[in-house]
Amino acid sequence: MNDKNNKIPFNEDNYTHNIDRNNERRLDRRGFMKTLVGAAGVFAISSLPWGAVAAKELMGLGDKEYPHKKITDVKAIPIGNAVDFKFPGEHDDAILIRLSEDKYVAYQSACTHLRCPVFWEKEKGEMICPCHHGKFDVNTGAPTAGPPRRPLPEIQVQVENGAVYAVRVKRYEV
Amino acid sequence: MKSKYFGITALLVILMLNIIFTQKMVHQYYFENYTNSIILAGLNILLFPIAILIFKKDQKGVK
Repeated sequence: MNDKNNKIPFNEDNYTHNIDRNNERRLDRRGFMKTLVGAAGVFAISSLPWGAVAAKELMGLGDKEYPHKKITDVKAIPIGNAVDFKFPGEHDDAILIRLSEDKYVAYQSACTHLRCPVFWEKEKGEMICPCHHGKFDVNTGAPTAGPPRRPLPEIQVQVENGAVYAVRVKRYEV
Repeated sequence: MKSKYFGITALLVILMLNIIFTQKMVHQYYFENYTNSIILAGLNILLFPIAILIFKKDQKGVK
């Protein structure tokens, strides 16, 4: 016979293997504390990427200039209408609204609540997020109703040679 | 002497702080207050060694 089963089990002092197979339904005080420490570890690790992207943003601080991007021709967008586009990246949905002859506003259209796309309601004159009926003021992008608490990031636009260009994303004023 | 539930209480407080810091961190990130976001991430990371320390201390007390 081998003495494999004859050993005193080693003291399992670790944070991950805290389940005793023969006794897995039992959670004693120490086991519970281990789980809590493990949870703290998960929180610590999961906040690393946030710190990293925040540091990245901080290094390239200031008004970031993106290559100007043509949104649409002036002729193609009647007053009171909206057109969707992407700015600054390929996956950043944005919306351009023509309010009057030469007043254009553009916002990143991901709702600041849970990032549903925000639509322009021409008849009501407001921007609506259909997911939870969040509403935004079309002139400022500020939330006026529903769950969102943060204004939509505004995109500065420029009219040149009969076309509308997206220039940059405005930073929030602190 | 400390109560035998001191460790658990402390760890639960740490977990609560973790949740609060994480929530604040994400919000501050989207508000573009990146410095605050980094500070909160740092606090969140700092809580982990504290939690381990409390766990180790508790073990010594029991033995």
